[in-house]
Amino acid sequence: MLRELLNSIDTRVGYRALLAPIRRRVLPDGPRWGYATAATLLWMLAVEVVTGLLLMTVYSPSLTTAWASVHYIEQLPGGAFIRGLHYFASQAIIVLFALHLVRVLLSGAFRAPRELIWITGLILLPLTIAWAVTGNPLSGSQKAYAQIEVEGNIIASTPLIGPLARTVLLGGKQVGHLTLTHLNFLHVALIPLLAGMFLALHIQQIYKHGASAYPTNGKKKKSAPYWPFQSIRNLSVFAVAFGIVALAAWHYGAPLEAPADPEFHNIPRPEWYFLSLFELRAYFSGPNEYIATVVVPTVALLVLLGMPLIDRVCPPRLSTAIRFFTVFGGLLAIGGLTGMSVQRDMHSEEFQAAKHEEQSLARRAHVLAVAKGIPPEGPISLLRNDPKTQGPILFERHCAACHSHTDADGKGIAAEESTAPNLHGFATRAWLAGWFDAEKIKSTEYFGGTEFAEGEMVGFVDDTLTDLDEDDQQALANLITALSAKAELPGQKASDEQAAEKGEIKAGIAALLETFSCIDCHKYGDDDPEAGAPDLTGYGSRDWLIGMIRDPAHSRFYGENNDRMPSFAPDRVNRENNQLDDRSLALIADWLRGDWYEPLGEATDQPHE
Amino acid sequence: MNRRSLLRWICRAIASVSAAVVAVPAVRFLLHPLLRRQKNDAIVRRLAPLDDLPVGKPQSFPILGTRQDAWTTYEEEVLGRVWIVRRSNSETSPEQAQVEAFTAICPHLGCAIDWDKAHDHFLCPCHRAVFDSNGQPAADADLGYKNPTPRGMDALECRVVQDAETETWWVEVEFQRFEFGLTTQQALT
Repeated sequence: MLRELLNSIDTRVGYRALLAPIRRRVLPDGPRWGYATAATLLWMLAVEVVTGLLLMTVYSPSLTTAWASVHYIEQLPGGAFIRGLHYFASQAIIVLFALHLVRVLLSGAFRAPRELIWITGLILLPLTIAWAVTGNPLSGSQKAYAQIEVEGNIIASTPLIGPLARTVLLGGKQVGHLTLTHLNFLHVALIPLLAGMFLALHIQQIYKHGASAYPTNGKKKKSAPYWPFQSIRNLSVFAVAFGIVALAAWHYGAPLEAPADPEFHNIPRPEWYFLSLFELRAYFSGPNEYIATVVVPTVALLVLLGMPLIDRVCPPRLSTAIRFFTVFGGLLAIGGLTGMSVQRDMHSEEFQAAKHEEQSLARRAHVLAVAKGIPPEGPISLLRNDPKTQGPILFERHCAACHSHTDADGKGIAAEESTAPNLHGFATRAWLAGWFDAEKIKSTEYFGGTEFAEGEMVGFVDDTLTDLDEDDQQALANLITALSAKAELPGQKASDEQAAEKGEIKAGIAALLETFSCIDCHKYGDDDPEAGAPDLTGYGSRDWLIGMIRDPAHSRFYGENNDRMPSFAPDRVNRENNQLDDRSLALIADWLRGDWYEPLGEATDQPHE
Repeated sequence: MNRRSLLRWICRAIASVSAAVVAVPAVRFLLHPLLRRQKNDAIVRRLAPLDDLPVGKPQSFPILGTRQDAWTTYEEEVLGRVWIVRRSNSETSPEQAQVEAFTAICPHLGCAIDWDKAHDHFLCPCHRAVFDSNGQPAADADLGYKNPTPRGMDALECRVVQDAETETWWVEVEFQRFEFGLTTQQALT
């Protein structure tokens, strides 16, 4: 049945005649494992083409959509696996290409009349690397952005045409939408077309000249048909290589760093197959860098291209020596440089910290993208509007000159000289309790470093609170609970509700108004122009804290008694005069209050509770 | 079975397994728009205070909501428009008030239906489907051509509710999308 169908198709199409060179191919010296690198490369390329076409159905190249669409692919059924296959198969191709090159070089398969096979193959080497290099940054991630910047600058360092080539590639002076459409065009259109052409010529030549002969030491080997005796070797090698690729794709998947944002500090590294050039570059400084990044690879490629000529000119022994030296010297140099680079990064605390930071940003971006979706302005706003991410950065920049933000173990952001209260656990019960402890309030954790160390509050705590009877101690505890509840901290929500049920909050407010007469100095609930101490209405709430950072010298807070804390955003009319914009104010306040999104059911590392 | 055909079958097996490793996730990946369940839950919105609506004159209101387009989340987007017609006048008590709501999406092919003031009927400009003020399709004879719509305008659940705080009476509508081209009104799945 099937045979009849195929026969009738063949009568019309004639596909058997077309396929005959492949089906009837005979290897005069029999099959070899060494030949398998070629076919394995081809099959791996087929994997790349199929997975690449699949990814194209979703991927969208622009700065606002690249990361978002890749993240979306990761969430789709089969998406992470397909992207993982694409990612790891590309690295397998680089490894297999190197093996293929070494095999051909050592066996002398480039000799006349096979030069065209050698030359087309060597043209495919930079094409393949360019193929991988244009693919990696398409994800629009932080690492992608850095890689484009660095690779653009490497191109620009080439004398004469470099800067022009960079501008054309990036689509302008800076990385933008056009950079991604250009890279995408190169990756999915131009390079595949060129590679396809050279590959076709490469294979046509192999069929014309037959399989390369190996030195047989005079022994005559038996010839054998390619199918299935060579095919079984090819497919066995491919099965192992593809098995590793598929396992890696299944287990690890392709990485996706946080969305690109030039605001974040990171230490970019190239892909592993470029680490040797990256290391070499370190030995050529300034204007000579192009020697490592451009001249050395070009010279290496030219030496390889000239190999048939060298082989013809030199006596056979010398030629063999040159070939072995090229292969093992080259591998040793690449391996050594790569090893040195890895070694250096492994021992660099700065690099390890940056890598750790990069991973936690990537996780955070993923959590936010899944929970809130990606806004139309793009994934960059995910982390830019996230208090958990921005809080520490802004605090370090604007607050940490005086304030620390360190927990009991001293971990966190420490001020150079702590001259203002430690804000870790701001407005929590534990933090507030410190204000009513005669020892703590005088320490640098609270008022110790400020003018208020000699102020009325410290005096009040010293005089009135050091020797309380049991009832008053309870009243003070209630006062702290009530004041802390006014902050409405998300991390304390459950215990605040419990306290309200038990009537502790009501009792605490009564203690504030009557037992301890806080309102002699502080405002509470009404606008008392005489009060010189901060307003306790909604103490520690988002609005209160934003107001406090905005202008501590406002009559609502310290007024004229304000010590050294600057007013970060006092001008409500001409906001551009302010040191901090409203968005940053809110981010700092939310971070100090532990008010940010955390997925349910996961361990939270919020500072409160 | 000789050695040669055994090797051939092993080759075919390796090739098939490898192809399947790519093909199975590929099919799932390509067909994900079918696998993913799009929800078409009714969106409940209070659109206007009852007293603001003129009697008998259809008024159009946008339905705002979150729209998810693949990876992008649009907050507060116009998801569709509705036409509200108040039937009863102000002498009727709000509890008894008669209000009708129609989606502005034409049941023919999904264009936006407009109110044609000059003729006192609803008109879809794309293929000139015409509906009377009750949302029923106009007769072919009255139009002089075949009314392209397969059914009347899609009615939406609609009620008058009182706001607990302000005590204002509001018109509340349940917005939904429906299949096109059918003679009966069926929620889009």
